[in-house]
Amino acid sequence: MGSIFRSEEMQLCQLLLQTEAAYACVSELGELGLVQFKDLNANVNAFQRKFVNEVRRCEEMERKLRYIEKEILKEGLKIYDINENPKAPAPKEMNDLELEFEKMDSELRQVNTNNEALKQNYLELAELREVLSGAQAYFAMYGNNIQHLVEEEAQHEESIIGTKNQQAALGYYVGTLLREKVPVFERVLRYVTHGTVYVYTEEITKTFEDPITGDQMHKCMFIVIYQGEQLRNKVKKVCEGLRGNIYPVPDNPNERNEMLVGVSTRLDDLENVLSQSNDHRLRVLGNAQKEMRAWTIKVEKIKAIYHTINMFKAHQSSLIAECWFPVKALDDIRRALSAGEKMSGSSIPSVIQRMDTHEAPPTYYSCNKFVKGFQNIIDAYGIATYGEVNPAPYTIITFPFLFAVMFGDAGHGVILFLFGLYLCIKEKELAAKKINNEIFTTFFGGRYIIMMMGLFSVYTGLVYNDVFSKSLNIFGSNWKPNYDPDHFPLSDKLTLDPITMNENGTAYFFGVDPVWQSASNKIQFMNSLKMKMAIILGVCQMLFGICLSIFNHVHFKHYIDILLEFVPELLFLGCLFGYLVALIFYKWLTFESADAACAPTLLIHYINMFMFKYESKKGDCDPNYVFYSGQQTIQTLLFLVAILCVPVLLFGKPLYLIIKYKLNARRQFMHSPTDPLLSNEVEPANQVNPAYQHDNQDSGAAKGNGVGGDPPSTMMSLNSDEESEDTDLMKSASSDAHGDHEKLELGELFIHQTIHTIEFCLGCISHTASYLRLWALSLAHAELSEVLWSMVLHMGLSLGGLGLGGVILFVIFFFWANLTIGILLLMEGLSAFLHTLRLHWVEFQSKFYKGEGYAFEPFSFDEIHEMQTLEEAT
Amino acid sequence: MMPEGLTFNINHGYLEGLLRGFKGGILKQADYLNLIQCETLDDLKLHLQSTDYGNFLANEPSPLTVSVIDDKLREKLVIEVEHMRNHALEPLSTFLDYIKYSYMIDNVILLITGTLHGRPIHELLPKCHPLGTFDQLAAINLANTSIMLYNAVLVDTPLAPYIKDCISAEDLDEMNVEIIRNTLYKSYLEDFYNFCKKQGGATADVMCEALAFDADRRAFIITINSFGTELSKEDRMKLYPRCGNLYPTGLNMLGECDDFEQVKVVADYYPQYKELFDNSGINPGDKTLEDKFFEHEVKLMKKSFMQQFQFGVFYAYIRLKEQENRNILWIGECVAQRHRAKIDSYIPIF
Repeated sequence: MGSIFRSEEMQLCQLLLQTEAAYACVSELGELGLVQFKDLNANVNAFQRKFVNEVRRCEEMERKLRYIEKEILKEGLKIYDINENPKAPAPKEMNDLELEFEKMDSELRQVNTNNEALKQNYLELAELREVLSGAQAYFAMYGNNIQHLVEEEAQHEESIIGTKNQQAALGYYVGTLLREKVPVFERVLRYVTHGTVYVYTEEITKTFEDPITGDQMHKCMFIVIYQGEQLRNKVKKVCEGLRGNIYPVPDNPNERNEMLVGVSTRLDDLENVLSQSNDHRLRVLGNAQKEMRAWTIKVEKIKAIYHTINMFKAHQSSLIAECWFPVKALDDIRRALSAGEKMSGSSIPSVIQRMDTHEAPPTYYSCNKFVKGFQNIIDAYGIATYGEVNPAPYTIITFPFLFAVMFGDAGHGVILFLFGLYLCIKEKELAAKKINNEIFTTFFGGRYIIMMMGLFSVYTGLVYNDVFSKSLNIFGSNWKPNYDPDHFPLSDKLTLDPITMNENGTAYFFGVDPVWQSASNKIQFMNSLKMKMAIILGVCQMLFGICLSIFNHVHFKHYIDILLEFVPELLFLGCLFGYLVALIFYKWLTFESADAACAPTLLIHYINMFMFKYESKKGDCDPNYVFYSGQQTIQTLLFLVAILCVPVLLFGKPLYLIIKYKLNARRQFMHSPTDPLLSNEVEPANQVNPAYQHDNQDSGAAKGNGVGGDPPSTMMSLNSDEESEDTDLMKSASSDAHGDHEKLELGELFIHQTIHTIEFCLGCISHTASYLRLWALSLAHAELSEVLWSMVLHMGLSLGGLGLGGVILFVIFFFWANLTIGILLLMEGLSAFLHTLRLHWVEFQSKFYKGEGYAFEPFSFDEIHEMQTLEEAT
Repeated sequence: MMPEGLTFNINHGYLEGLLRGFKGGILKQADYLNLIQCETLDDLKLHLQSTDYGNFLANEPSPLTVSVIDDKLREKLVIEVEHMRNHALEPLSTFLDYIKYSYMIDNVILLITGTLHGRPIHELLPKCHPLGTFDQLAAINLANTSIMLYNAVLVDTPLAPYIKDCISAEDLDEMNVEIIRNTLYKSYLEDFYNFCKKQGGATADVMCEALAFDADRRAFIITINSFGTELSKEDRMKLYPRCGNLYPTGLNMLGECDDFEQVKVVADYYPQYKELFDNSGINPGDKTLEDKFFEHEVKLMKKSFMQQFQFGVFYAYIRLKEQENRNILWIGECVAQRHRAKIDSYIPIF
């Protein structure tokens, strides 16, 4: 039996692995990817586990790899995705790997330090060159003898202050500074020296490379002219503080020139050396680049393996693991284990031992990529409780279909289908590209759903006879009115009574007759059709949902629930809304166009059914009068049956449990008169160390129970489904001491059942109404596309002559096409999708689906293959 | 004025939400229990990996040192605070700036003391707290007097108004530096206090309590530290921040104190401080007064998270994070020096 209808059968097993074989075995299991290990050391610190040193070594290797990777990426090189899958190396090879990385790392670091030193040197020289040429130009402009400046200054000062300052020799500093620091530099200098130094700054157009980070730096050169020793010190300190580089520049212009020439030649030499060292670096990186991917995968695998082994419990010379896996995969697991043993050369075989547990197993479906998309939709609501009916297989059909009912337009459907088809055909290439765009991945993940939705939309579009809001007349309209065209001018609107005017009584071959397209009462007709269709589809889906619940009851062996839940629910929905659907069909089948006027108004009849109101006949054909014999009896009967279902639903199950409990208690009392002292003792099931219990709840169901050593049969079940409710009840029934506690539980049971009943009964009504969204959205879609046609494209078609009209049409078509895609396909599509999602999650699944399970998360290397860079791993 | 609850989230909702998320990452008691079991710093790193710190040490080669951990812890806090500051709108941005001023004061004092001891400035600059750096800091080695300090460094920084009380032409020495530090702090606290008071509402409630405690703590510590120094009582009086619960009576009494017992007598008048003084001691096994103050601060800061729509949480978070960093470093030091006897003296937060 395919596993898609409900979860694969899962089994909790104990694995007894020899310590030396554990590594290889786990590695094989990781390649297989079908085993979920439980953490048996949940209460042990990460750094106190057994193989923490190995994990740490892996982290050290990761760090080196990250460094190498960063260098490779910095150089603009790519890391090739090799399509092979290197196995996790044996533990012995780990040393080789470490050595290799160490060598690589130190080599790279040395190259980098050399490079940095060279670059630093280069930077200084380059700056010096700029500074020299800048200073040269400056002094050439303002005179080479700066001493005359001081005289000018002195004269200037004298003219203002009137006294003559004592002359001190002028000095100057020339250097470079980061551009962003210039304003601070100038400001600080002014504050510190009270404006007594002269600062000249000029931007250097060339950018420099920071030797360490490789960033581009913008620098300015500055010339600060000061007078006297004290100012010299101050200027120097400011320069130091702001990390300015001061360069020695000779006073003499000739010397400056010579220096410039010297610096230039040294720069040329350095450039040579730099390029050589760069080549060397590239060679080193190139070697690393080829191996990078394989290394990464290997290291990540080792780390994952040790991480997993850390979850095992040590027992003498072996390791004990507990794991969940699908029963089907037992042979594969045995094979993997024996392969692992062979690799590690261990002589003692590993042992797989079944364990019995009350713990709920994880839920796992082995589904292909087509079903996966639909399964994801279900899982997004909640992972199925283990063993529960999986709605996904039915969703494959109902989801695209309900979507299409709302999206019904063959033209739009074709576009949607082609888009989905493109994604599906190009699947491999697109997946290989590893696009990380969130929107794209969403569409890509749902490619099969999109394709199916498109396909179904074509179908419903043809049923509605809607293609871009126009109709197709494929089979020729069967509406052939026999009116005389001479009597009525064609341009006028005229009412054609089908009773008198229609010659041909047959229906259009498929879908809606295209003649409705030109009828002015098209909307009224379509509304009636779509509204009834929405009710029919909705009630059918809900009835189907209730029917599915019977499989749950049978599977969980809650046979009594079939009688106390399934039957009343089915009767309630069937008698009320099933009857409505039957009426709709009855009306469609029995009332011909000839007696259209006498056709019953279903709405009134339906309301009257609840009011027990039956009107007397007025006139020949009264749409409110009973329209089939025995209508009153049948309707009253149905209504009474539905009403009677409510108390059954409400009290049935709690009463049954109470009676069962009473009988049990009596039996117990008769057979074993309990010793009050004994009964006060804590039951073994509760004898879990309180410290552990906290962990249990914390780590939740997903990580499983953290209590390692205790036999699993004594574990408390965390699962709160009805099965455990029952057993809890039985358990508490066995001891009188828990009297209060168990009464409370009965109260809870009543409350729970009341909520369920109210939810179901009100739900039936509101959910049926909720299905009317099928009609509303499909109406909205049809109207919107019609508006788009008549307001946009129609204008283009009717404007201008043949020549000009063509141009206008060309432009207008652009708008029309864009609006069609943007509004009708994307926005309407999304909204229809969301409504479909809701109909499935709420209206359909509430009838049978609990979704209280947790997903099976096997230990697998797949993720390691999928990640692109090490950065993702961290 | 509109009630804060109605309008607060328009401008500051995102940041408060973010901050409360950050707060969730503060280490719990269980984490500390795990941390103190560490044998080596690598164990520490491994455990921190499983907390909110994540891989913040992943790129550091082992063996780790405590100073590397210190740098990284600080870096993490700075990134968070800078992120919040960059997204903040008035008046939260000013509020966050105020928090940064205290780091600026610390940096100024650090550099002055450093240069007084003849250390080169480029060696000192990296030691500054990144939250309190400003461009003019680089020129600090010029300042031999407080006038120069004002003129060259602080004149167009927000700290300028704080220093105006202690400008003098005297050369800077250790005593002076301490006085400058405390004067700056005093004016800063008073300014910050007034700013928060002006904000009104819950911000004022929470922040005034926090700042009042800070002011009182400073007053106590200044008094205790001044015993046996040449600081005169009048000068000491000038250093007390006048915005705490002690102001004015308590400060006057503190001003008259001559030894620790008298300080204790003053504290006895204030039930919240009496408890701190009573339970502290210098005997082994006792908690020091400083730790008691820290504990009280943590309690206050935790309380400020009880109120929503106020800025106190930002201040509280930074304070708590500082305390957490101190804790981790303490544990780290104990582990590194194999001195486990006192490893328990960290101050648990949650």
